[in-house]
Amino acid sequence: MRTALLGMGHHLPPLGDAAGVKRPIAETGGTSDLARPAAEAALARAGASTDEVDFIVFATMTPDVTFPGAACFFQHKLACGTIGSLDVRAQCAGFLFGLSVADQFIRLGTYRRVLLVAAEVMSPGLEYSERGAPVARLFGDGAAAVVLGPAGGDGGLSSVVIHADGRHYDRFWCEYPSSRQHPVRMTLEDFREGRHFPFLDFETVRQFGAATLPAVIDESLAAAGVDRDRIDRFVLGHVFPDVVDQVADQMGVSAKVLNPSRQYGHLVAASLPVSLSAAVAAGEIGPGATVCLAACGAGFTWGAAVVQL
Amino acid sequence: MLSVARCVPDKVVTNDDLAVLMETSDEWIQQRTGIKQRHYSEGDTGAADLGARAAAEALERAGVRAHDIGCIIFATLSPDYDMPSSACVLQARMGLAGMPAFDVRNQCSGFLYGLAIANAYVKNGTFDHVLLVGGEIHSTGLDLTTRGREVGVIFGDGAAAVVIGPEPDRQRGILSTHLHAEGRFAEMLWLESPGSRERPRLTEDMIAEGRIFPKMRGREVFRQAVTRFPEVIREALDAHDLTVADLDLFIPHQANQRISQMVAMGLELPEEKLFTNIERYGNTTAASIPIALSEAIEAGKVREGSLICLAAFGAGFTWGSALIRW
Repeated sequence: MRTALLGMGHHLPPLGDAAGVKRPIAETGGTSDLARPAAEAALARAGASTDEVDFIVFATMTPDVTFPGAACFFQHKLACGTIGSLDVRAQCAGFLFGLSVADQFIRLGTYRRVLLVAAEVMSPGLEYSERGAPVARLFGDGAAAVVLGPAGGDGGLSSVVIHADGRHYDRFWCEYPSSRQHPVRMTLEDFREGRHFPFLDFETVRQFGAATLPAVIDESLAAAGVDRDRIDRFVLGHVFPDVVDQVADQMGVSAKVLNPSRQYGHLVAASLPVSLSAAVAAGEIGPGATVCLAACGAGFTWGAAVVQL
Repeated sequence: MLSVARCVPDKVVTNDDLAVLMETSDEWIQQRTGIKQRHYSEGDTGAADLGARAAAEALERAGVRAHDIGCIIFATLSPDYDMPSSACVLQARMGLAGMPAFDVRNQCSGFLYGLAIANAYVKNGTFDHVLLVGGEIHSTGLDLTTRGREVGVIFGDGAAAVVIGPEPDRQRGILSTHLHAEGRFAEMLWLESPGSRERPRLTEDMIAEGRIFPKMRGREVFRQAVTRFPEVIREALDAHDLTVADLDLFIPHQANQRISQMVAMGLELPEEKLFTNIERYGNTTAASIPIALSEAIEAGKVREGSLICLAAFGAGFTWGSALIRW
């Protein structure tokens, strides 16, 4: 039995100034607030009510508060009773990790309707000074949601593969607050040094993405038993849009590629589903289309999935 | 569940030690929580370091090579860094690469949420072996002054790891998991800052005002806990047409001795079937159940065929249970 994407929705805040470039920026509210309209749209498209949802998976690296997770805040806003609400941290590949977890629960029969949310509110945590601008202008805020359930026919999710290589954890990270720091995980001195802002080693992140994305795309296609030329659209997430261009060119699929970071800025966990949902809503991708989603980023984590809509 | 192992830091902090830092007393802490001491990490030690040590031992006990792990799941609310996940840091510490690694952030229920995921991966045949770790370094995130004493005295550091693998006998192993949440109570036990709902996410004021430390409305947590614990335990038993009398051992998340005792009493569970060790570790959130399980095994309380119920309740609120036939 396969897992089907029964409905998708997304929500982007209005464009604002991010260190000199226009990005979707949430002026108010937390990640769960941004996720709510996306989830309502997804449920409407799936023809499902909130009562039918029996589990929530929330992928984010920018939760509303440090703890509890964004899933708890979101569950309350959506009025989903007392269903289990999970927060997954897998950074830029968060949507694919969440998809993998949701797929497992559906295939095992634990849950029949899983609401998978990927949402980020990056902007309040970025450094908009001259020093921080090169990183700050990479990111945007956004949310997307997918309703997942057992597939009736042949369609649905035919593969999802996920990976990590923690050896590079400090090449794309946000060091503080850090529970390793004794006696206290965040001091005023740490704050004044700006150690609570994200840091990227541009070159390493770029090279790793360029090397890893083609391999994981092929892995997901092989796992799905689908040839590259049978894919109608590739949605590729990487913090640097030119890495996606390079990968698409190298694989000979440029005409079929959606590059969310170019369109919105990097939405981290939300990149892939926002881009896919927007393309479906615009009629660019129709029912029955086969899509390959792939992302690579902080952790490093990466993954890919093949799904027939 | 093929094996369990724990790793707690050496340094022991007694209630009297805390009474030097804040207005409190051994009597006050013991009476309200049952805690006599807890462990605190020292130096540059993170949740992933404790977790990696526990994981190495768990793998050895299971006879599973590290490279044969299909997936790493790390449950924590006190990650090594703001991002990426402690799972990635642990993977690096263990000298591993390639297999997926991610964090589950479900506070006191984190281990059970992680167990549910690990169980699904193995039952579906996606991965042969999943390494599930619960690890916390609370000590660097507590307000250890009189202002923060209600929360500060409760928590301790520690980690434990389990290896989940295939169980050929369908009557044994993890029988089922049951997960819940109620975000209406998210602010009853929480750590507010940094958080994406503030603009900016972190300020000097937040640090100065202690908003980077957890806060708790203890009475409300207690009230909900003593309701949800028995509810979710019965849910697990009902799913298999079992009763409390069938249970050989109940291992609750070690949140508070009073909660555990009240729950056991309400279920009419004999005292010898309730496992507690909070007096020595305090509340280690995501690590508390596997630490307790490892001690229960060493104490000979877990035998082949034993029916064990794990259950947790905590921040979120989130709660859950798992039924295991050993």
